[in-house]
Amino acid sequence: MKRLLPCLLSLTLIAGCASGGTASTTPAAEHPADEVVVVMGPTSEPEAGFDPAFGWGAGEHVHEPLIQSTLTVTNADLTIGYDLATGMSVSDDGLTWTVTIRDDVSFTDGEPLTAADVAFTYNTVKATSSVNDFTMLSSAEAVDDTTVVFHMTTPYSIWPYTMAIVGIVPEHAYDSATYGSNPIGSGRYTLVQWDRGEQIILEANPDYYGEAPKMKKVTILFMEEDAAFLAVQAGQADLAYTSAVYADQSPTGYSLLSCESVDNRGINLPTEGNPVTADLAVRRAINIGVDREEMIRNVLGGYGTPAYSVCDKLPWYNPASEVAYDPEEAVRLLEEAGWVLGDDGVRVKDGVRAELNILYSTGDSVRQALAADLSNQLAELGIACTTEGVGWDTAYDRALTTPLVWGWGAHTPMELYNIYHTMPDTGTALYSPYANPTVDSYMDQALRCAGLEDSYELWQKAQWDGTTGVTQDGDIPWVWLVNVNHLYWVRDGLQVAEQKIHPHGHGWSIVNNVDQWSFAS
Amino acid sequence: MDRLLNQRQRALLLSAFAALALLAVTVAGFLLSDAAMVTDFSRKNLAPCLAYPFGTDWMGRDMLARTLTGLSLSIRIGVLTAAVSAVVALAVGTAAATLGRRVDAVLSWCIDLVMGIPHILLVILISLAFGKGFVGVVAGVALSHWTSLARLLRGEVLQLRSAPYVLTAEKLGRTRLQVARDHLLPHLLPQFLTGLILLFPHAILHEASVTFLGFGLSSEQPAIGVILSESMSYLTTGKWWLAFFPGLMLVATVALFALLGDRLRRILDPATIHQ
Repeated sequence: MKRLLPCLLSLTLIAGCASGGTASTTPAAEHPADEVVVVMGPTSEPEAGFDPAFGWGAGEHVHEPLIQSTLTVTNADLTIGYDLATGMSVSDDGLTWTVTIRDDVSFTDGEPLTAADVAFTYNTVKATSSVNDFTMLSSAEAVDDTTVVFHMTTPYSIWPYTMAIVGIVPEHAYDSATYGSNPIGSGRYTLVQWDRGEQIILEANPDYYGEAPKMKKVTILFMEEDAAFLAVQAGQADLAYTSAVYADQSPTGYSLLSCESVDNRGINLPTEGNPVTADLAVRRAINIGVDREEMIRNVLGGYGTPAYSVCDKLPWYNPASEVAYDPEEAVRLLEEAGWVLGDDGVRVKDGVRAELNILYSTGDSVRQALAADLSNQLAELGIACTTEGVGWDTAYDRALTTPLVWGWGAHTPMELYNIYHTMPDTGTALYSPYANPTVDSYMDQALRCAGLEDSYELWQKAQWDGTTGVTQDGDIPWVWLVNVNHLYWVRDGLQVAEQKIHPHGHGWSIVNNVDQWSFAS
Repeated sequence: MDRLLNQRQRALLLSAFAALALLAVTVAGFLLSDAAMVTDFSRKNLAPCLAYPFGTDWMGRDMLARTLTGLSLSIRIGVLTAAVSAVVALAVGTAAATLGRRVDAVLSWCIDLVMGIPHILLVILISLAFGKGFVGVVAGVALSHWTSLARLLRGEVLQLRSAPYVLTAEKLGRTRLQVARDHLLPHLLPQFLTGLILLFPHAILHEASVTFLGFGLSSEQPAIGVILSESMSYLTTGKWWLAFFPGLMLVATVALFALLGDRLRRILDPATIHQ
């Protein structure tokens, strides 16, 4: 027993450590009107710092880089607006983009920002970025101080969406070894302090060329979800991320902010390699046999919207993706395709039992609950499901034959391409086996398109053109379930500016417009 | 009680009780394993009540069924790992003591090496190397817990080999195997059995810890480590029952095994035969 005691104690200790966290104190009573403390999850802290070449602002979780300026920005409706750019044009063959920029912008070290810096930035990210794909860019070239020309390797009509996430770095002061922790930019804020694993302090850039930020100081703390909630209870944060688990709580002095998102969750249904999901009827039956509203109630506490595509509510979304919940029709589809209900409640066709193993990433309670709810719902259709937690080290491989609960949702149509377009070397899509030449050709056309407006229509046609696509009446290789609303505790009196629809990643998106936040007096 | 039963009988009774309780948990958990996987969102986050004495979690799973199934799984893993460990320990211990000085040096060095690495770290590393999951945990715990028993058995065998009755038996022409079977083994058995039983609590706790840390059993399985780590995120919202009952049951199980081992030692120890 003597030796057991340390074991027991260490177990208790481990348990205790997991809920640790630090917080800087900001007494509620004397709150400065132009300072704000925001709490994000530990994974939101950029590991490689604030260098656009190492994923700051870009990558899987897109957001505005704040410290740097970008050429373009995405508007509230996810169309394209200008930040540094004053105009842009593309050649008829789509291989040359010409962008003119403002001449009144300088970096925080006083040096002016010129087209040479822009060209340098893009050539640098092309050479070094492992997070974003820049293979479509051949090189960038500064023609004069305010004009930059991008030479493309292949037409890429949605280039403005890439330009919205690449922060411009100064050519004269860029050292890839130190820039991440000591960034110089021309954006709304400057980085004044970064305590790794704890916090980041941003201060307004006094020489900012646009509207001066209302919030002069932004402190961002990185905490686990439970620590974030404790910080809210202690009144130490002005805004803190949270999830549906905590949504029924009511900390005094705070209210819940629920932001709509395209942070979707869906499952892939491999069109080959899995005898059950390879059957089109099964995929269609799942898509209409799932009660998304019930899922939102059960798993998300009501804080979510049904998802019908990877890009709901974005300009390139095709509303034909939407389906109504119709379990009778789902059963009819299965019976028609020869899936006969057995004595044990599981359908069988040609000796194949309708059994699915639904994978989710270990440690993600929302995806686990979605997988569980989905398997309960599918059981009613006669499809028996088990769930299994997997790590990302094996998840990608296993998803090639097994449905996995995924999370997507980005501010670029390129996501459609990544999910549905075939790869040249394998002839099938990257994440889950699927191939449809018509869908491919619409997306290829969309990328070759001269204008963004025209490309939206082609992206929509890739989803459904009236006869084929990836929707219910098409091949339905993925079934989209829900968009998870992003939840935050907000201190009473803090006016959070209107949010554009949040992409995947419950992190930096909320502070995209922190410069426009204010405290009601 | 004192007058009715002597210490030996009480020890017997207690160990019988402990063994029965553990067996009951194992069987109950085995029978409830289907119920433990059922998710029902209409009954999520219920505090302990008559229908669900241990409450339910955020997916509406019955925590009583989950806890018992988890413990049952832990015990079965414990049995497997303790058995493997004990056999390894017996083999290494006897080999070191009987196969000459060089073998002894090498094996003793191995024992020191394994003992020198912190247990939990070693378990995590081996579990990862075996691809986590059931196999990983069993391999991790089994391959890291044999050392102290091996060292104990080695010492015991060394001592026995120079005992007069063993030397006499050898002089009388008994073969090595006969000596080992007739004279060494009966003497080693109590040590071995006690060591085996006392390995259980370690195995169970390490299985729970390594799973808690995310290097063990997969998260859809009703394992105690999984239950405890999941409950962490719900403690701040006041759902105490998610951690309290499973934690208590884990401690109780471990304590029962320790009790069982301790009483068994008393029963088997020749010196206590007349107490």
